[in-house]
Amino acid sequence: MSPGMHALFEGTRRVVAYAVLAAVTFVVCFPLVWAVSTSLKPKTEIFAYPPTLIPETVTFENYRTLLYGRATYFQGGAAAPSSAAPSAPSDYFVDWFINSVIVSLGATLITIVVSTLAAYSLTRFQFWGQRLVPYFSLIGYMVPSIIFVFPMFLVMVDLDLTDTLLSLVFGYVCITLPFCMWLMWAFFRGIPLEIEEAALVDGASRLQVFYQIVLPVAFPGIIAAAIFSLIVSWNDYLFGRVFMNSLENMPLTVGVMHFFEGTHVDWGLMMASSVLMTVPMAILFMALQRHLVAGFGAGAVKG
Amino acid sequence: MNVRLEGISKSFGSNQVLKDIDLVFPDRRFVTLLGPSGCGKTTLLRMIAGLEQASSGSIYFGERRVNDLAPGSRNIAMVFQNYALYPNMDVERNIGYGLKVRGMLRAEVKERVGPVAKVLEILHLLARKPRALSGGQRQRVALGRAMVRKPDIFLMDEPLSNLDAKLRVTMRSELKRFHMDLETTSVYVTHDQLEAMTMSDLIAVMNEGVVQQFGTPEAVYNTPANLFVAGFIGSPPMNFARGLVERNDGPRLAIGSHRLLLPDAYAEALRLFDDGSELVLGIRPQDVTLAAPGTANTISGRVWMVELLGSEKLVEVEVGPKLRMTAEVRADTQVAIDDPVALRLDSARLHLFEPGSGRAIARS
Amino acid sequence: MLRLSDRQIGVLFMAPFVVTAGVFMIYPIFEAVRMAFFAYNPLRPDDIRFVGLGNFEYIFADPLFWASFYQATFWTIVSIVFQTLFGVGLALLLNQSIYGISFFRGLLLFPYIVPTVVIALNWRWIFSPEIGVVNYALMSAGLISENIYWLSTPDMAMASTIMLNVWKYTPFVIICVLARLQTIPLELYDAAKVDGAGAWRRLLDITLPHLKEVLVVVIVFRTIWTFNKFEEIYLLTRGGPGTSTFNLAIYSFEQSTANLKLGVGAATGVVMMLLLLAGSVIYIRVSGFGREDKTL
Repeated sequence: MSPGMHALFEGTRRVVAYAVLAAVTFVVCFPLVWAVSTSLKPKTEIFAYPPTLIPETVTFENYRTLLYGRATYFQGGAAAPSSAAPSAPSDYFVDWFINSVIVSLGATLITIVVSTLAAYSLTRFQFWGQRLVPYFSLIGYMVPSIIFVFPMFLVMVDLDLTDTLLSLVFGYVCITLPFCMWLMWAFFRGIPLEIEEAALVDGASRLQVFYQIVLPVAFPGIIAAAIFSLIVSWNDYLFGRVFMNSLENMPLTVGVMHFFEGTHVDWGLMMASSVLMTVPMAILFMALQRHLVAGFGAGAVKG
Repeated sequence: MNVRLEGISKSFGSNQVLKDIDLVFPDRRFVTLLGPSGCGKTTLLRMIAGLEQASSGSIYFGERRVNDLAPGSRNIAMVFQNYALYPNMDVERNIGYGLKVRGMLRAEVKERVGPVAKVLEILHLLARKPRALSGGQRQRVALGRAMVRKPDIFLMDEPLSNLDAKLRVTMRSELKRFHMDLETTSVYVTHDQLEAMTMSDLIAVMNEGVVQQFGTPEAVYNTPANLFVAGFIGSPPMNFARGLVERNDGPRLAIGSHRLLLPDAYAEALRLFDDGSELVLGIRPQDVTLAAPGTANTISGRVWMVELLGSEKLVEVEVGPKLRMTAEVRADTQVAIDDPVALRLDSARLHLFEPGSGRAIARS
Repeated sequence: MLRLSDRQIGVLFMAPFVVTAGVFMIYPIFEAVRMAFFAYNPLRPDDIRFVGLGNFEYIFADPLFWASFYQATFWTIVSIVFQTLFGVGLALLLNQSIYGISFFRGLLLFPYIVPTVVIALNWRWIFSPEIGVVNYALMSAGLISENIYWLSTPDMAMASTIMLNVWKYTPFVIICVLARLQTIPLELYDAAKVDGAGAWRRLLDITLPHLKEVLVVVIVFRTIWTFNKFEEIYLLTRGGPGTSTFNLAIYSFEQSTANLKLGVGAATGVVMMLLLLAGSVIYIRVSGFGREDKTL
C-alpha cells in the first residue's frame, strides 16, 4: 500500500473504532443520562409520548421537593411535617442522604485506621499467629454477605444497636476491612525498610516512625482504600434493609427503595433521587481514577 | 537480492526521524546500520521489513518496489531484540509458524524444520517452550525461524544486546557464519561499534536521521567522513583538540601553547583556510606515542591518569587547561601520574575537521 | 512515655482489626453455620430448638429451593458468557492508543460504582412497558409491534436481570483483560507479521493464548460472585414475577424475612458456602497450584 492508501485505511479503522466506542459509551451512560433528563422534566412532560431526550421545559421542582420537602408544609410556617400526614420520599430524603454520608464516612474512617494499623503490624512486626489473620479475614471477604447478615443482625440485637447508624457503620467496616488491609499491606511491603531504619537511627520511636515517616509515604494507598470503602458503604442496600426499620434512620439506598414499593410512583422524584444518589459516587470515582493511576501507575496503562 | 533505498524520509507527526536516505545494499553482503539510540536505524530497518511505512521515498528489493507489500509478502526474515518467540508454542511450532501460516501441511513443515534444527543444534529442544530455554538457545530458535523460510533478505534488530558479554562474543561469529550459510543480504542494526566493525562488509553510520558515512569498516575507521563518525568508531575514542591554523612556517596548528607541524598532505587543502581559522584535530590513542619532554613537534603535558588494560596501558595526559589527550601504549611502559611527558602524534594517521560542519578535510 | 517492646506494639496495632473482624465478621459467620442446625424464629427468640439436619431436609425437599438453584445456575452461565464475550471484545477495542482512549477507559468503570439501587430504579423506568423509553425506541424503529413486558413475564424478567448484571459487571472483565493485553510484547505481533500472519491469525495465535490465564481467573471469580448476587435481582424483580427469578440468595433472604425461618435461611447460606468452597477448589486445581513460574 502506498503511504496515501495506508493512511486512508488507518483512517477508516479509526472511524470504526470511535464509532463502536461511542456506541458502547452510549449504552453504558444512557440510563443515567435518561434519569437526569427525566428528573428535570415537569410531570406533564415525563409522560409525554413521544418521550424527549432534552426536556422542553427544564424544571428543578423534583430536586426542590427532595431537598426542601413539599411546599405546602413550609408555607404556613409549619415547623416539621406532622406524623399524621402521608409521608413522601421528599420528607425524608435529606435525612437519608445525611445518614448515608455519616455512615459512609464513619465506616471509612474506622476501616482506614484499623486496616492501616493491622497492615503495618503485619509488615514490620512478628508474633505468633500473625500470619493467620489476613487469611482468616479473607474468609469474610469471600463469603457473600447474605449469609452472615442475619447473624450479624442478631449481634446488633445483643449489643442493643439495632436501628442505629452505628450498626451500619460496623457492618460496612466488616465488608471493607479485609480488602483495605490487603491493599495497605501491599503498599507497606513496597516501602523500603531502610527509610524506617534511618529514622530509628536518628532517634525516632517506633510510633514516631509510623506517623511521620511511613504514613505520608503510604498516603496514596490510604486514599485508594478510602475511596473504595466510601463507594462500598454508600452503595450498600442489604445491610441497611436488615438493620434499619425506622424511616428516619434508613440510609439513602434503602429509603428510596422503600418508597418505590408504594402505590403511586412519582418518576420524576425517583429519577431525581437516582441522580442525587449517584453524584457523590461520580465525584469520588473521578478522584479514584486519578489516584489509582498515581498510586499504582507505572507501566500498565498506556495511551 | 540487493536492497535499494531511494530518498527515504520518515516523520512521526512533526518529528522527522529519517531525512532523505539513499543507500544500496549489494546482494549477499552483511550491512550494518550503526548509530546511537534515536538515530533512526531501527525505524529504517522496520521500513525495510514493512512494519513501518515511509513518509516518502522508495524501497526496492532487486528491481521490485516493495513499499506497498505486507511484511509477510516480502520474503524476509527478521530476528528481534527480544527474539519474539511465541510463548504458547513449542520450539518446533515456533520455527514452523511462518510455513504453517502460508498453508503448508503439518508433515511438510516437520520435514523442513528438522534439518534446520539439526544445523542449529537444537534438535533436542523441539518440544520445549521458550520459557524453558536459555538466552543463547532462544536466539538459535529465532534464527531457525528465519532459516526455514529461505528468505531473500535477513534483518536483525540488535539481537545481541540482551546477552551477557561473553555470550555476545561467541554469538557474533555464529551470526556472521549464519549469514554466510544463508547466502542472503543481511541488514543488521546495532549501537555497538565493535559489533559493526567485526561483522560487517559495509557499515552505514547514522546520526539524527542522516547517514553520516557508508563504507567498509576500514573506510569508516581510517578515513572518517566527519567528526561524528570519527568519534563514534573506535575504542578508546579518538582524541580531539581544537587549534588555530598558522600558515607560515607550516602549515601548523596552534593548540593552546603548542604549535604542531602538520603533514604536507594537508598543505593543499589548508590553502583554503585563513590564518587563525579554527580546526579540529583528531588522532586515535593507538597512534599517539610517548616521547621525552622537549622532543620536537610534540605536545607536552603532565600525566593525569594511567589505566592498565592488560596488554596495553592508557595514559591520559593533561596538555592544556581543560584539554586531555589519551595515548595507548604498551603495558610495560614506565610512566606514573604527574610525570611530565610529550605526546608524539603519528602524522600519517592524523585527521583534520572543520569545526562547524564537522566535515573531514581531505588529504591530497 | 510508656516504652513498649516491638512485639507489644505489633500486637497493639493488630488488636483493633482482630477484635472488629472477630466480633462482627468471623463470629457471625460461625453463628450462621450454627444457626443452620436450629429452628429460629426471630420474633420468638426464646423458642430456639435444635433440629439437627432438619433445615437441610426442608430445603432439599422444597421445590422452590431447587427452582432457585437452577435459575441461579442459568442466570450465572448466561451472564458470564455475555460478560466474557463483551469483556474481551471491548478490551481489544480499548487496547488501541488512539486519541482520547483514556477518556473511554475511564468511563468504563462507571457501571461498577453506580449504586445497584439507582440502576435498578432506572431500569424499571426505562423498561416500563407503557411509558418506558426502550419500548418506545423499539417501536419507532419498527423492531416490535407490541410493548414488551420486560419485568412482568418470567422469561423477560430473567432476560432483564441478566442484562443488568452484564451491564454492571462487564467493565470488571474489561479492566482485567485490558491490563493483560497491555503486557503482551508488541514484538510478537511484528514477528507474526513478518511470518505472514494476518490480523485474524494474530488474534488467534498470539492474543488469545495470552489471555487464557486471566480469563480463567476472571471467569471463576465472576461465576462465584454472580451465583450469589442478591441486590441485582431483588431490587429489579424481587425474585419475580412470582418466583421465576429467585436465586439461592433471594431464597435465603425470603426464608429469613418473609417466612421468619432464620434457621432455614442459614441452612441455605451453608449450602451456598459449600458451593463456594467447591468453586474455589476447582479454581485452584484449574489454575495450577504451585505450577512453574509463568514468566517468559
